[in-house]
Amino acid sequence: MKDILTKVLDGASQKFGAEYAEVRAQKLSKTMLTLKEGRVEAAKQGIENGAALRVLVNGAWGFASVGNLNFETLNEAISDACKMAKAASPRLKTPIKLVETKPVEDKVLLKPRKNPSAIPIEDKINTTSTMSKTVLGYNNRIKSCTIDYLDLTGTSHFINNEGTYIEQDKLYVWSRIVATANEADIFTFSREEIGSTSGYEIFDIETPENVGERVAKRAVKQLKAKPPKGGTFPAVLGPNVVGVFVHEAFGHLAEADYTLSGSVLSNKLGKKIASNITTFYDDGTIDGAFGSYKYDDEGIPAQKTLLVKDGVIVGLMHNRETAQKLNAKPTGNARAEDFRVEPIIRMRNTFMEPKDYSFEELVENIKFGYYFKNFRGGQANIDGTFQVGIQEAYEIVNGEMGEPVRNASISGNTLETLLNVDAVGKDFELWPGRCGKGQTAFTCDGGPHIRVKGVLVGGSA
Amino acid sequence: MVALRQEEMLNLAETAVNSALKRGADEAEAFTYQGLTTNIIIERGQIAKSSRIIDRGLGVRAIINKAVGFSYTNILESKTAIEETILKALSSAKASKPDEDWHSLPTKKTFASVENTYDKKVAELRSEDLVNMASSMLNAAEKTDKRVFPVEGGAGASYLSTAVGNSNGIASFDHGTIIECSLATIGQQGGEVTPICFEFNAERICNVDPEWVGKEAARLAVSALKAKRIETKNASIIFTQFALQQLLYYTLINAVKADYVQRGQSAFKDKIGEKVASEIVTIHDDGLFKGGLRTWKFDGEGVPQQKTLIIEKGVLRNFIYDNYTAKKEGKESTGNATRAGYLSTPDVEATNFRFMPGNKSPEELISEVDEGLLVYYLQGAHSSNPASGEFSVVATPAWRIQNGEIAHATKGVMLAGNVFQVLKNISTLAGNERKIGQLVAPWVLVENVKLIGK
Repeated sequence: MKDILTKVLDGASQKFGAEYAEVRAQKLSKTMLTLKEGRVEAAKQGIENGAALRVLVNGAWGFASVGNLNFETLNEAISDACKMAKAASPRLKTPIKLVETKPVEDKVLLKPRKNPSAIPIEDKINTTSTMSKTVLGYNNRIKSCTIDYLDLTGTSHFINNEGTYIEQDKLYVWSRIVATANEADIFTFSREEIGSTSGYEIFDIETPENVGERVAKRAVKQLKAKPPKGGTFPAVLGPNVVGVFVHEAFGHLAEADYTLSGSVLSNKLGKKIASNITTFYDDGTIDGAFGSYKYDDEGIPAQKTLLVKDGVIVGLMHNRETAQKLNAKPTGNARAEDFRVEPIIRMRNTFMEPKDYSFEELVENIKFGYYFKNFRGGQANIDGTFQVGIQEAYEIVNGEMGEPVRNASISGNTLETLLNVDAVGKDFELWPGRCGKGQTAFTCDGGPHIRVKGVLVGGSA
Repeated sequence: MVALRQEEMLNLAETAVNSALKRGADEAEAFTYQGLTTNIIIERGQIAKSSRIIDRGLGVRAIINKAVGFSYTNILESKTAIEETILKALSSAKASKPDEDWHSLPTKKTFASVENTYDKKVAELRSEDLVNMASSMLNAAEKTDKRVFPVEGGAGASYLSTAVGNSNGIASFDHGTIIECSLATIGQQGGEVTPICFEFNAERICNVDPEWVGKEAARLAVSALKAKRIETKNASIIFTQFALQQLLYYTLINAVKADYVQRGQSAFKDKIGEKVASEIVTIHDDGLFKGGLRTWKFDGEGVPQQKTLIIEKGVLRNFIYDNYTAKKEGKESTGNATRAGYLSTPDVEATNFRFMPGNKSPEELISEVDEGLLVYYLQGAHSSNPASGEFSVVATPAWRIQNGEIAHATKGVMLAGNVFQVLKNISTLAGNERKIGQLVAPWVLVENVKLIGK
C-alpha cells in the first residue's frame, strides 16, 4: 500500500507543483442492527474501501474522494484534487499554510479483548434482543423500544509528502436505546447511548440488562412528571448535562475554525471567561473512551488539551491550518468521518474538572430551582446562545429533591452562564455521544455535578 | 472515473438479485447508487477549497424465511467483493429471526412522469463555473455592508443516479441533478456578534440565484444587530420556512409516518378523519412535485412516488407508507421508502412535504401582528419530544414585531409549547412558497405561542 500511495503523492508535487499533499486510504467493515420492539428490522453488514486525497496548490485546498484503491484511480483522483485547487486559487485573498510538524512513522495495532469483527452476528442480535426484552418487560406502560447497534472496524493508511506514514487500526462499538411510554395523553421518551473504542467488552460493564432498565425506568417515571415553570432559576446540572453544556455551549466556540470565524471567544484567549472554579479539557488520550485515538487524520498525535484553567481560556482546538494562523501548536483535533470527507476540527473527550462539593452541598441552599439530571439534545450558536433539551429533571424545593419535571430545556448565553457557575462537585462521569458538524464524530463529554446561580428554563406553564 | 451508465447500474442490480436467489434467498432486492458531486467551499470570507467526490455502491436485501438480511459494498470492480456482499446479506438473514409481518417485496408498477428533476447543464458544470457562482454570491454579500462577515458557504452541483432490481420483476433506473449555493454570515459591531444568519438556494435544474443568496444572507446579519431582550408573554409568531422545517421535522412529519403510528409513537394514532389543525391547513406529501428537491420516479424500493393527501382543511386524511408498513395493514405503499444511498435499508420518510400556501404577501403577514415575533431559525428543535409534540427551543435570529412593523432583533428568547397546538393556532398563510429540505411551505402566522424572555 505504501508504495502505491507514495507514487500517487509524487504525481501531485511533480506534475502540479503541490505545496502539500496527503492520501488517507481506508478499508472499513461495519455491522449494524436496528431492533424495533424486539424485532430485528434488518441485520446489516457492509464492506467498503476508498481514499481521501487532499492537496494545497497555490495556497488553495483541493480535495477528492474515490471508492477505490487501485493506482490508476488514485492517480486520476489526485490530478482532480490539484485541478480543483487550481480552480479555487485565483480568488484567494490569504493563501493557506500549515503549521510545521515532525514527520511520524508508526503502526497502531489495536488488540481488543473482544474484537467485534470476530463476534458472530447471532451474538450481537442476542445482546440487543436482551436489551429490548428488558426495556419492554419493565412495565406495561412502555410502548416502544428502538435499539440501534453499530460496530466499525478497519484500517486507515495516512501518508503525506512531508514524510509521515501512519497505519492505524480503527475500532468503535456503539449502541443507542430509545424507549417511549404512554399513559392517557402523556407521551414520554427516554434515551441512552453506549460507546467504546476498547471492544465488545463494553457490554460486560454496560450489561444489556442494566442499560435497558435505566432507559425504561426513566421513561415511566416521566409519566408522572409535570412541565417546568418558564423563567430564570438556580439549577444543579448532572454530569451528563454538564458534559453536553461543555461540549455544545463552550466546546464548539473553542474549535479554532469557529473562533476564527468570529465566535464570541475570538480575542478572548488569555482572558477570564468563566467563574474561577471552572477548568475544561479536551482529551484524546483516555483509554477506551469513545472520543480517543492515537493520531488524528492529519497525522498529528492526539493529546490532552487544556482549554480553560481556573476560568481563563488558555487554549483552542486546532488543525494544522488554524494552528499556523493563530501561531499555536497543533492539538490533533482534525478528524474525518470516513474517506468520503475531509478532516475538520472536532472534539474528542471534552469535560469539566471536578472540585470539592458533595451533591447534598450543591442542593442544600436552593429554595426553589431545578435539578437537570440527563439531557436529550443540545445545540449552540456562534454568538454564544445555547440550548440544551432535558429528558430527566426534578424540582428542588427548600434544599430537597422534589417532583419530576418533563420537557424542560435550558438556554442562555454561554459566557454569562459560565460566570454563573458558583459550585463544582467532586464526582465525575464521562458519557459517550455523537457530534454532528456536517459529518458525524464519536465523542465523550462529562464532568461533575455543578450549581449555576441562574439559568433560563423554557417551560410551558 | 466516468459515471456508470444506466445499463451498467441495472446490470449490477440484476446480477446481484439473481446470485442471491441462486444461493438460497426466497426473495432478493438490489439497490445501486451513484453520486458525483463537485463543491466550491467558502471559509472565513474567501473561496478556500474545492472538492470532487465520487461515491457509488450496491446494497442487497435478501429474505429467507421471512427474515431480512442486508449487506452493502462500494467495491464494485471486484466480483469477489460483490459475491461476499451477497453472502453477507444471506448470512445476516439466517442469523435473524422470522418476522411474521413480512409479506413480500413490492411488485412492478407504472411510474408517473416527473418534471424538472434532471438538467444536463448541471451535470456538465465545470468547477470554474461553480467558482464564479460562489464569488458572485460572496461579492454580493460583501457589497451589502462592511459589518457582515461571510463565515462559510459555497456552491455545489451533483449528479445522482439509482437503480432498483428485485425478484418480483422490478428493474428501474432514474437519475437527477441538484445545484445549490449557500452562505452563512454574522454581523459584527462594537463587540456584538449576531447569531449565524443563513440563506441558500437549491434547485434541480440550473436556475439558482447566487447574488440573491449573498445579499439576503448579508441583509439578515445586519438586521440581527442591536438585539434586545423581551418580556415573557404569549404572542403571535411568524415562522419562516426554515423555522417551520425545524419545528415540523422532528414532530409532525414523524407523526404521519405509518411506522410511528403502528408502533404507538404518534399522537395521530386513530385520528384519521379528525380535525388536527386549523382549517386553513392543507398538506400533501408530493413525491411528484415539479422540480421538488425529493422528486423522483420511484422510491428506495422501486415503488412509484405519488401525491398523498395528508391534511385536508385541518382534517387528517392519510399516513405515509413504505412497502413493509403498508402490507402489514393490507394497504399499498405510498412510495415513501427512503434510503441513505446504498448504505442502508429503506425507512419511511416524507418526500416533498407540501404545506399549501395562502395568498398574503410576507409584508401583509407582518402588518397583521400587533405584538409578536418573526422567527427565522430555531435552535434545539431536535430535542423536541417526538411522541408528544412538546417543544422548548430558542428563537434565533428573531425579530420583534410591534404594531404591524419589525421593531428590533431579539436575543435570549425561547418558545415553548406543543406542535399539535401550534397547528390548530395557525391563523394566516403567506403565498411565498419555497423549498427547504423536504418541506415546501410559505411563512405561517401562529397565534398565542408561549414566549419566554427576561
